[in-house]
Amino acid sequence: MTVMASRGAADRWHVAAAGVALAVVTLTLGLWLRVSNAAIVSSSFLLVVLVVAATSRLWVAVATSVAAMLCLNFFFLPPVGTFSIAEVQNWVVLFVFLAVSLVASNLSAVARARTHEAVGRRDELARLFDLSRDVLQMTDSREALSVLARSVARRFDLEYVAVALPRAGEWDIFEAGARTIALDRRELTKAFASAQTSLEFDAYARTYAGHRTMTVDEQVVRLVPLRVGTKPIGILAAAGREVEAGTLDTLAGVVAIAIERAQFLEERKAGELTRQSEQLKTALLASIGHDLRTPLTAIRIAASNIQAPEIAPDERFGQADLILSEVERLSRLFQNVLEMARIDAGAIATEARWTHPSEIVAAARDQVEQTLREHKVEVRIDPDEPVRLDPRLTASALAHLLENAAQYSPSGSTIGIFSRVTDEGLTIEVRDQGPGIAPADLPRLFDRFYRGAASRTRASGTGMGLWIVRGLLAVEHGRVWVENGTDGGAQFTIVVPVGVREAEPAGSPL
Amino acid sequence: MAPRSRILLVDDEVAIQRAVAPLLRSRGYDVEIAGTGAEALRSVAARTPDLVVLDLGLPDVEGTHVCQQIRAKSAVPVIVLSARGSEADKVNALDLGADDYVTKPFGPEELLARIRVALRRLESKDSEDTGVFRAGALTIDYDRRRVVRGDTEIRLTPKEFELLSLLAKNHDRVLTHRAVLKAVWGANAVEQPEHLWTLVAQLRKKIEPDPANPKYLLSEPWVGYRFVTE
Repeated sequence: MTVMASRGAADRWHVAAAGVALAVVTLTLGLWLRVSNAAIVSSSFLLVVLVVAATSRLWVAVATSVAAMLCLNFFFLPPVGTFSIAEVQNWVVLFVFLAVSLVASNLSAVARARTHEAVGRRDELARLFDLSRDVLQMTDSREALSVLARSVARRFDLEYVAVALPRAGEWDIFEAGARTIALDRRELTKAFASAQTSLEFDAYARTYAGHRTMTVDEQVVRLVPLRVGTKPIGILAAAGREVEAGTLDTLAGVVAIAIERAQFLEERKAGELTRQSEQLKTALLASIGHDLRTPLTAIRIAASNIQAPEIAPDERFGQADLILSEVERLSRLFQNVLEMARIDAGAIATEARWTHPSEIVAAARDQVEQTLREHKVEVRIDPDEPVRLDPRLTASALAHLLENAAQYSPSGSTIGIFSRVTDEGLTIEVRDQGPGIAPADLPRLFDRFYRGAASRTRASGTGMGLWIVRGLLAVEHGRVWVENGTDGGAQFTIVVPVGVREAEPAGSPL
Repeated sequence: MAPRSRILLVDDEVAIQRAVAPLLRSRGYDVEIAGTGAEALRSVAARTPDLVVLDLGLPDVEGTHVCQQIRAKSAVPVIVLSARGSEADKVNALDLGADDYVTKPFGPEELLARIRVALRRLESKDSEDTGVFRAGALTIDYDRRRVVRGDTEIRLTPKEFELLSLLAKNHDRVLTHRAVLKAVWGANAVEQPEHLWTLVAQLRKKIEPDPANPKYLLSEPWVGYRFVTE
């Protein structure tokens, strides 16, 4: 709208200037210099017409030509003061003047139009280039199509842009721009159907046929098929600034490529996810299969040993004890798998309450009593004042660390549990006298199913424990890390923020 | 009664040690325990057990490697415990000289039966290389290359006889497909199991009373064949 208004104002100004110029020439030649030679007068007027044609639009130049001709006739060609002409040669002068000025006006207008078009084309090329760059930088495939629509609207100064993709009889529409327009889905379907059935190149408009327009709220919306090669994959709708048809085609081509790229990225991501979950399943099955067989074998043999008459009576007690500890091992495994599934599903809620650090340590030791049987445990808690956190999750995480320490340090060695309260929260260290962690294993130690290079051939251990610790602590906004102690063993530290959830309503029940 | 047989149990799982050792002791065997591959090799060299029960998942070295090392020094029968569930490990161990395998989780009778067979084969080894072999109604005369079931003589092609005598001489233990192919057809044939399938089918038709439910020539799925005498 503003463009149109400024154009009208410019035209009015040009008309006024042309009128003034004609009046000046007429007065100067007629009243002041009193020139009567038709050739001199007509060439002076021609100068005015040429200047006007070079600066104004065609109709202003034509109007100036006609006005100049009338002035020439009225003021200079005898009989002066009338529009009639006495001599035949003056008729010739008059019409030659008119013809020359019209031709000059037209030539000038054509030249100006060419220049204008070239500038416009350069401008659109620059816009297309910028858009292509936007497209190439698009990486996140989830938001890609909305980003794409926004880029088109921004780069081409359009008031409304929509990328419409057909999906199972419906349209997925990604819109951008200052205006909101309710696209008529039937119109889209019609445009898409025609793009599917015909493909024809219009050499004059330098465009593929298939562009349609629709009018919504007095706004003309242009619909351009998006094609990859010749196959239509959707519709680009644009409204606002006039964009040349050929440019729209090219624009649609870039958008189509961008859509293809986005879909490819999405497929690749999905493929990657599937592959990861497949890997996870395989690892889980291998790990559980491995850890189920040993206790099952031991239980089966021990149970039949108890029944067998050949077994000495004093052996039976040991066999029963073995069964109990293997059953505990199985149930730990089962709990781990359940805990892992709950972490995966995000189904772990926290329930903060006031508790003593010593209670947490006791609860954790309780959970892995059998595993710790062969180790000495040294506990130091300072201070043992109540802290507010989720005691179950914290104890569970600590239990996994204790189990880990027991599994990877020689039996008879000491496991240290040191608890203190710092600015960060409740800090609990677990130190063992095992071989420590190989530097190569450190970065991946908390990964699911990751087992240290040295422990991979060991029969026990599934690579679940430390991952679960990490998962449990993440729910509590805590953290866990590992370092090798000065005396060689591994030292795991967990930190759980305390009291941070006091403002919240008492935790949800689990 | 013969002197008690000495069995070396190699497994790093304390649970398995605590269950299997009493089982074996209660059946009259002397049991020694090794928790690592290195310990196992030392024990085999120093104490010459009569039989080794070897778990394939050891903390220090691959079980198959231990198997190979034992075989390099001694002819002691080796029964492999495999928890991996993968056939490849078992076959590998058997090809590297193990005599038999038991898959975890196993029952006591399964393990005891394998141990009995392996020890018995050890005792009667010398008498089997020549002469006559009997299993149920089946008689194999190695010297005359004759096979008789009940009263009827069974005519076998040379290859069939070769396969049958190979399996019979290793009766009650598993021979891997690879081992059989190598022994009967030569090293170049080990990747061509079709030969073996065809020959086994022919042989079963001739020696088995009911070839669809073989009694002597049993398949160990994905592993190999076993000639059963009991």
